[in-house]
Amino acid sequence: MAKGKVEEITLPVAGMSCAACVNKVEKVLKGLPGVADAKVNLAAAKAGVEYDPAACSLTDMAEAVRGIGYEVPWDRIELLVLGMMGSHCQTIISKAVGELEGVAKVEVNLGTDTVTVEYAASRISAAQIKKTIRELGYEVSDKAEGEAALDRERQARQQEVRRQLVNLLLALPLGLLVMAGTFRDYWVLDKFIPEFLANKYTLWALTTPVVLGPGRQFFVNSFNGLRRGLTDMNLLYATGIGAAYFIAVINTFWPDAGFGGEKATFYESAALLTSFIVLGRYLEAVTRGRTSEAIRKLMKLQPKRARVLRDGEELEIGADEVEAGDVCLVRPGESIPVDGVVVDGYSAVDESMITGESIPVEKKAGDEVIGGTMNKTGAFRFRATKVGRETALAQIVKLVEDAQTTKAPIQRLADSVAGHFILGVHLLALGVFLFWFFGGFNWWFDPNSHFILSPAELSGLEVFGFSLLLSVTVLVISCPCAVGLATPSAIMAGSGLGAQNGILFKGADAMETTAKLQTIIFDKTGTLTLGEPSVTDVVSLSGARDEVLRLAAIAERNSEHPLGEAIVRGAQERGLDVPAAEEFVAIPGQGVEARQNGATILLGNRKLMAEKGIGLDGLLPEAERLEGEGKTAMFVASGGQALGIIAVADTLKPTSAQAVRELHGLGMEVAMITGDNRRTAEAIARQVGIDRVLAEVLPQDKAAEVRKLQEQGRRVAMVGDGINDAPALAQADVGIAIGSGTDVAKETGHVILVKDDLLDVVAAIQVARFTMRKVRQNLGWAFGYNTLAIPLGAGLLYPFTAQIVSPELAAFLMAISSLSVTLNAMSMRGYRPPIRRGGRPTLARHEPQPHREAVRPGV
Amino acid sequence: MKPGIAAAIIYTSIALLGAGSFLAATTLSGDYDWVARLGGAGWVFLLSMIILMPTITPWVKRRLGRAEAREQTVHHK
Repeated sequence: MAKGKVEEITLPVAGMSCAACVNKVEKVLKGLPGVADAKVNLAAAKAGVEYDPAACSLTDMAEAVRGIGYEVPWDRIELLVLGMMGSHCQTIISKAVGELEGVAKVEVNLGTDTVTVEYAASRISAAQIKKTIRELGYEVSDKAEGEAALDRERQARQQEVRRQLVNLLLALPLGLLVMAGTFRDYWVLDKFIPEFLANKYTLWALTTPVVLGPGRQFFVNSFNGLRRGLTDMNLLYATGIGAAYFIAVINTFWPDAGFGGEKATFYESAALLTSFIVLGRYLEAVTRGRTSEAIRKLMKLQPKRARVLRDGEELEIGADEVEAGDVCLVRPGESIPVDGVVVDGYSAVDESMITGESIPVEKKAGDEVIGGTMNKTGAFRFRATKVGRETALAQIVKLVEDAQTTKAPIQRLADSVAGHFILGVHLLALGVFLFWFFGGFNWWFDPNSHFILSPAELSGLEVFGFSLLLSVTVLVISCPCAVGLATPSAIMAGSGLGAQNGILFKGADAMETTAKLQTIIFDKTGTLTLGEPSVTDVVSLSGARDEVLRLAAIAERNSEHPLGEAIVRGAQERGLDVPAAEEFVAIPGQGVEARQNGATILLGNRKLMAEKGIGLDGLLPEAERLEGEGKTAMFVASGGQALGIIAVADTLKPTSAQAVRELHGLGMEVAMITGDNRRTAEAIARQVGIDRVLAEVLPQDKAAEVRKLQEQGRRVAMVGDGINDAPALAQADVGIAIGSGTDVAKETGHVILVKDDLLDVVAAIQVARFTMRKVRQNLGWAFGYNTLAIPLGAGLLYPFTAQIVSPELAAFLMAISSLSVTLNAMSMRGYRPPIRRGGRPTLARHEPQPHREAVRPGV
Repeated sequence: MKPGIAAAIIYTSIALLGAGSFLAATTLSGDYDWVARLGGAGWVFLLSMIILMPTITPWVKRRLGRAEAREQTVHHK
């Protein structure tokens, strides 16, 4: 029996505590097909495995070990890889690195140009992994974090830009000289262009350095790919340039060889083809990375220095050295180094970079401050609560980076197409060659025909040269880069845009679904409303509303009931004197009875008043009206006489009604879900214009209500508190967690709104729709371009127009196509959601604002 | 046999077969000169290799891997 090659590997295994664990791990490993032997060292937490790599992969081993409850902590390396142009590059790197012995997992993030590899250090080194990627034609360096990462990335990008610029500076002037020489005999050009430039040997001498210099990268990279059985864009370029140059050289030195002779040297094809591809690479290098500018801006916010008080001394230290509990000092104009809580002082802080809030937020003792935001006016001291990776800024950057690695469902089609594109194009090129060779040339070839936008005639060409030219053009004109870049470039820009406005999409799929939403369900308490009751109406029979309120507050002064606290707070906000009652009795289910200055004050419902023999004539209609509005009406009586009514309710947030209006404007159905009774719920719904009310729903049933709406075929978003409404948020197509503040990472939900402002729900939908519009534009352009350009390159119009696309024009069109997609994504910079444009009235403070009160005249 | 070598033998053979067929077709039909015939056969061979290499290599690796696994299982039993 032929046995495969047996190799040894040391597998790290974590979580083993005894000999039984050792036996278990050994047994499961030995049971795998292809594993000859496994020995586990408990002390070293490692397993030595003899195995046949052809029959068993490292992933199989890791999965088997994980399956019985242990961890396999592979070594991990994060690399910055420059030069990836689309999902095809993603596939190539995944495949090439994934096939290396000792590599367990490869993740390629096109958005952040990052390749993360999990590997067994006993089998392969990080240097070998880097070498493999480098050999495929990419720039590789270790990925750093934070500011250092930015510097490294910038440096590496600049290097790539410089490299391609040097290539371009060599290729383009020489290419233009070759073109001038080739077309010297046309029009009046012979008067300006010296004769020697049109000499075929001069053209050869000018073209060769272009092909072997700037063009060399395509040959080397495609060869390295082919060695591993991989094809990429470089191969398309290399075959195109190589074939054009090959024909030109043959026709120069062996003109009778039958490749079209001296008139068909086409050096300008090889030279300009290289120039345009290099131009495309250069522009790509310049523009690439700019779509991720938003996240760079966020990363740049991280302050470098901090001033802290230690042992009573003021020290200036690095922001990364601040520890939780340190007291930091912030002066006007300085950035806040880490997250914390103000200890003393007063100031206004610009938080726009984190929350999108354009108006500076007032900060006083007890308020939270966010690291990376800018202190404006005053000085203050704060105690650091979150430092390093725990800060809101670090969490936001991580969340956005993670989101950028995910794929939108719309991208699957693009990836599938781009993944098979290169192969398909080569198949098509073969078909085109065979078609024109065996049939097309004989049927339609016209010696007077010429290239589109070129006076050069094709008369010198014969069947092989003509068929080869069209075949090469097909290779060059196709552009899988545009297809591959269409979605990730726009998603990356969109998620960055969201982050700048305090809207964090947890993945590309969340963004795509948000753009397609049909119904938005708001949780009532704490989302649509402020979540705490307040006095809304005071009715007085005598007209003395303040006195009615004052007496009610005295009665409730010692109460701990939320309604009582709301009444006391309401009286204090009006500046009323509220002395403590001399006696106080709470009557369960009815209200309170208190005594002050010898008078008895009663505050409660109808039952209380009836039991105490208080007549409510004149007050009942008003009480019913208030209850009809969803408010809790409480009667106030003193000295045996009814005096008036105090109405208390949970009030709407200032922007709730506007947010619902705007959502209607976006074509959304707006629903509200609450545990309140239907009458109260409908009263609130009427005030804001809610379409559908889901009342009397217990917290645990909210998810089921969301499901019911989904079963009606609607795409539903649930907006609520990320912690209390977690099941409903998870059930919804999109869970929107509102008002997370600095606790971004803890939130459930697919979209996280940093601020507690419902208008951000509108902004999130606007950002998502705008992004998906750009994705569709990009995909439309990329697919449209290839659908039109490839048949054109294959000579579809030749029988009717007697014109074909030259390889250099094909290269130009290809470069423009790829660039247009990136530029379209770049044009998203500076976008502001319409709801955030034009100075709407915003709240500048995070704490609840004083409520508008509908204080009614006396009855 | 190593999967890489097995794959190389297969795709090179198919590509050569394609190029040979092209040469045969141009010889038997039409009035093509030797440059067109040989150049065309070369181009067909090159494109066929490019198409077949990434298609055949993983296929062979998968098949040989599965066969080895089956053998190992039988061996263990």
